[in-house]
Amino acid sequence: MAQKTKLIDVSKCTGCRGCQLACKQWNQQPAAQTENYGTYQNPPDLQSNTWTLIRFQEIADKDSVKWLFRKDGCMHCTDAACVKVCPSGALHYTEYGTVAINNERCIGCKECVSACPFDIPRYDRVTDKIYKCDLCLTRIQAALEPACVKACPTGALKFGDRADMLKLAYKRAAELGGNANVYGDKFVDGTHVLYVLQEKPSTYEKLPANPSVPLSIIAWKDLLKPLSLLAAGGVIAGSFLHYIIHGPKLPDEDQNHKGGE
Amino acid sequence: MTNHWIDFKNSDVILIMGSNPASNHPISFKWIQEAIDKKGAKLVCVDPRFTQSAAKAHLYAPLRSGTDIAVLGGMIKYILDNKLYFEEYVKEYTNSAFLVNPAFKMPGDNKGVFSGLVNAKYDKSTWTFQKDAAGIIKQDKTLRDPMCVFQLLKKHYSRYTPELVSRISGTPKDKLVEVYKTYASTGKPDKAGNILYAMGWTQHTVGVQNIRTMSMIQLLLGNVGIAGGGVQALRGESNVQGSTDQALLFHIIPGYLPTPASSLPTLKAYNEKNTPATKQPDSLNWWKNRPKYMASYIRAVYGTNVSLEEGYNLMPKVDTGANYSWLVLFDQMYKEKFTGFFAWGMNPACSGAHSNKVRKGLTKLDWMVNVNLFDNETGSFWRGPGMDPTKIKTEVFMLPCAASVEKEGSITNSGRWMQWRYKAVNPPGVALPDGDIMSELYYKIKELYEKKGGPLKDAFLKMTWDYGVKGFDGKIKHLDPHAIAKEINGVFQEDKKVENPSKKGEFKEFKKGDPVPSFAWLQDDGSTSSGNWIYCASYADKGNLSARRGTKDASGIGLYSDWSWSWPVNRRIIYNGASVDPSGKPWNPGTPVIRWNGTKWVGDVPDGAGNPGSGRLPFIMKPDGVGSIFGPGLADGPFPEHYEPLECPVEKNLMSPQKNNPAIRRFDKAGVGSDIDVYSGVASCDPRFPFVCSTYRVSEHWQTGVLTRWCPWLAEMQPGMFVEMSLELAKEKNIKNGEKVIVKSARGEVEATAIVTPRFKPFNIDGNAIHQVGIPWHFGWITTKDRVYKPGDKKAEVFTFGDSANLLTPTIGDANTMIPETKAFMVNVVKKGRG
Amino acid sequence: MRKGLIQATDAFERIVHWSLAISCLILCITGLGMMFQSFNFIGTIMGGLKSLKYVHNFTGLFFMATLYFTIRMWWKEAGVFSMPEDMEWMMCAGGYLWHVDKVPEVGKYNPGQKAFFLVVAGCGVMMAITGLIMWFPLSFPTELVRWMFVLHALGFVTIFAFFFVHLYLGTIGSPGSLDAMLSGWVTRAWLKKQHPKWLKEMEHEGKLVVYGEEKTSTGGHGH
Repeated sequence: MAQKTKLIDVSKCTGCRGCQLACKQWNQQPAAQTENYGTYQNPPDLQSNTWTLIRFQEIADKDSVKWLFRKDGCMHCTDAACVKVCPSGALHYTEYGTVAINNERCIGCKECVSACPFDIPRYDRVTDKIYKCDLCLTRIQAALEPACVKACPTGALKFGDRADMLKLAYKRAAELGGNANVYGDKFVDGTHVLYVLQEKPSTYEKLPANPSVPLSIIAWKDLLKPLSLLAAGGVIAGSFLHYIIHGPKLPDEDQNHKGGE
Repeated sequence: MTNHWIDFKNSDVILIMGSNPASNHPISFKWIQEAIDKKGAKLVCVDPRFTQSAAKAHLYAPLRSGTDIAVLGGMIKYILDNKLYFEEYVKEYTNSAFLVNPAFKMPGDNKGVFSGLVNAKYDKSTWTFQKDAAGIIKQDKTLRDPMCVFQLLKKHYSRYTPELVSRISGTPKDKLVEVYKTYASTGKPDKAGNILYAMGWTQHTVGVQNIRTMSMIQLLLGNVGIAGGGVQALRGESNVQGSTDQALLFHIIPGYLPTPASSLPTLKAYNEKNTPATKQPDSLNWWKNRPKYMASYIRAVYGTNVSLEEGYNLMPKVDTGANYSWLVLFDQMYKEKFTGFFAWGMNPACSGAHSNKVRKGLTKLDWMVNVNLFDNETGSFWRGPGMDPTKIKTEVFMLPCAASVEKEGSITNSGRWMQWRYKAVNPPGVALPDGDIMSELYYKIKELYEKKGGPLKDAFLKMTWDYGVKGFDGKIKHLDPHAIAKEINGVFQEDKKVENPSKKGEFKEFKKGDPVPSFAWLQDDGSTSSGNWIYCASYADKGNLSARRGTKDASGIGLYSDWSWSWPVNRRIIYNGASVDPSGKPWNPGTPVIRWNGTKWVGDVPDGAGNPGSGRLPFIMKPDGVGSIFGPGLADGPFPEHYEPLECPVEKNLMSPQKNNPAIRRFDKAGVGSDIDVYSGVASCDPRFPFVCSTYRVSEHWQTGVLTRWCPWLAEMQPGMFVEMSLELAKEKNIKNGEKVIVKSARGEVEATAIVTPRFKPFNIDGNAIHQVGIPWHFGWITTKDRVYKPGDKKAEVFTFGDSANLLTPTIGDANTMIPETKAFMVNVVKKGRG
Repeated sequence: MRKGLIQATDAFERIVHWSLAISCLILCITGLGMMFQSFNFIGTIMGGLKSLKYVHNFTGLFFMATLYFTIRMWWKEAGVFSMPEDMEWMMCAGGYLWHVDKVPEVGKYNPGQKAFFLVVAGCGVMMAITGLIMWFPLSFPTELVRWMFVLHALGFVTIFAFFFVHLYLGTIGSPGSLDAMLSGWVTRAWLKKQHPKWLKEMEHEGKLVVYGEEKTSTGGHGH
């Protein structure tokens, strides 16, 4: 199955938030009570019922101002820390290379929350489960584009085969020039969500400039996890060898005799 | 719109001014983006605040709210000074060469007003053209005569220097010139400049003149009639174009025919008064056909029950000169001149300027019927803030109606496309489509008239009401939208042989009941009907064309002529006769709207094109056949002139001694408005209300939010009233981002959350720092958490915060349309709890 | 019970030991169930992986409580090395790995046991702290939580390995040892082999409790 990818071209995003709503509609996620806290952005952050949201960010210098709109949500890593840590297999790679979540298997351990370099998975206390974007897996399986892409009026969101999206992304970044760059193919073995950013990645709030699977997660899952079996196996084998080579440590004969008095 | 949404992709420069399409017309950016990507178009945004549209623009320039004419007048000067206008177009297709009455005086020489001002009203007798003995307008095609329109234009706008404009508008001079330079680059034949405006231009005391100024620029640059050009009114509601076409406004009946008036007692008098005549040799003067459209309209209303003359007599008439626009209606309501009121799909308690006055006006009614999807601030006004239900006599009825997806019918979008929509689901509970409610009303009123009589009895009883299947009781229960659409198109009322209007000597026979093929076939003798002549051809012999969904684009420029149907006669770009030179060649062969293939025009439906070289003047809806750079039709001047908003932050108008538009109707004058119509900062600055305020919209809410505030997903994204202000102002008022503040005007106050943002900047107005703030107008008390709920009251799933922005806005309107000036009025902002 | 058996542990000690051992075992098994998806089946008998998570978390609480008693009870005897004999014992690995003519005599707990105790105590505390933070990861800085995972796993590696050593030496690797934690009574011969010094000390102090004999002295390990 061809790898699928969503391309987010922030230069074309107008912040209309059609995607944010379409996501809730398709995934039947309820709204929560919010209040204006001095920005257009709401809910303030991703939530267990908000899998994508537009981050509104103002950058001002003396003469000019920029208003950046960035659609935040799961990046669908090829080397996904969340999948790596998920104990139950609830988080898993799909045939399209995306990362989906099987909520029935989720045990609410929240390990993915800590592991994700993009701070995406969100825990819901009521259901004791984790939620995040699955790139509308059921829609992809039905040969439809994800709901957010469908809703986007400006063409800021595109969806297709990974190779095509990569080509498109680099072409667009070249067109835009300046600081424009492609974000997403150079780390975690490539993400299945790509950005064309107009500014340097470090300019955007809550977007890691150099994301990676955290070293701690690698030490844990790639080193200690096998090591635990290795060590246990080693000890068992050692004990066995000890038993057959050295033999058990028995009390001395005479004392044994004496002890039996 | 002269053009349509998709056509934006053909533009080379797009000016967003008086609108914020990124927020309010999101789909428009699909085509704007395409222009940028495929044509390398430049996007320019001029707005008091840095909007979502500004964020996407190549060039942004701020201006103080209410100074658009100054800025655009400066652009006219720039275009003329630098000879950037499209000379041939200007000479051939506009009235620039026309000689004006020598007695005509302009504000520069006449204390800031045009000649003829008497008691806040213009006598337009000097706003005329010089004519020769044959009655033909005198012209100087060299454009040198000092009284020719071109020279007058040049003289008038010579006062609009970048320096002065910058002092008035606060736009930095370099930005101003950059905007001028960028936009004026479209004066070349192969370049198209486009203007997207909305309520940011209309809601001013100079609203119409704002649009006029830009229309003149478009004519000067040869941008009208071409692909990617024109003047685009981005409508604030999906069917405002449709409802305006079908007589939303008091002064017109469907098809932009003037409303019959008491001073015109007969159809003959009506036709004489309202049918323009011209002696210009090549002018088609399309409105000469008005009697045909009026006759057909009368037939549509009364059928053949009465004669045309009788039908006209029956029609209700307005008092000549009387104004029945929104502000006046509610003024009259406040003065207890009404007994009853239908609020039909409207929420005036939030949408009306000076909402406190509107809400008080509602208490003076005997009864009110609220037809809406949800209860709203209007239907429940009697239990709103500050109301004592025990002291209110008004009896309120709620009639729940069907939403757009719960009924069949058509809407007409900004691009004039009539698009048929099907019913998706049944309306909930007892809710009915509006038409069905109207039908029930019809039968009830009919019954009462028959029983009790009353004024205008025959006007009512002689109407035809034949829009569906009648039940056993002889009544139609469900109106058939197709029957209505057919009536709007029009049918032959008798068997008739008619000459083909476009082929002399060819006749066609029609049977009674046959649909009229197009408005060219309409007759003035009563043999045809048409509920709205501009929609004639929408539902003719080929059926319901608005239901078409063809996605072929034969034109290559995105006309998509097989998708739905566009009035008039499926023409996608009006005035397209001006897209070709007098010999018939497209000015821009790259994006031809119409093309002569040797025997006929291909492309769009030609508009005023005639045969190539025939000399036909393209602006056929104008009696003189040309575009009006000099426009004597308006109430406040043939050239737009900068006047300050009624409530403004400056002592005087730097342009002239006349501070405000002299032709507006002030509600604070004796005998006009009411005791609670007050303004601030009119004669001089009012320190109590030092900041300019604009109201506007966000993507997530629609109108007063009656629909959207009840939608939890939308309320979640924009949960309440906010006020946007600059960092500088916030510092001055010691307000922090996210804090609750009170915004006050001379008329009321609202609570809001402060959004302190670098997107707002103080303006440097003639050396003074002037602050502007902005508030959305979608909110209302009924969906708030802290209101009183009685058992059974519906509660919003996600509460919103705050009441209507219109509690602050003034009862003052444009000199022509009476649209309230809600884009520029004066307020104060204080931290909550600080007085 | 045969006469002459010597009491090595009392009931409280044995209860604490087995509480700790069983909870540790459950934690290891359930932990494995979460650590390896191929062991997810372990959750099945508990009614699903989610229940397994709860078993793990609440067993953890029980483990913490017993760990507390364990440490309090054995700290003095097993938590402190007594030099130099413990060092000497360690130099010859207690005679477990190669033939040693004369294993240095150590007290009630040999340095191997002491080391095991210290590992269990140290890792146990670490598992408790890291485990609690992992239970409520959203209340702590992400970077901290991530390293908690590492330490928790590291603790597991260690405990799990030591567990098998303990299992072996407590059973077939050192026949007779199991009795110390089952009945609490061991043979003099076994004691002499395993903990000669302690035997001597107890005898010297007259605290030795021998089945079927009067106490050699009063004021012993009274219960």
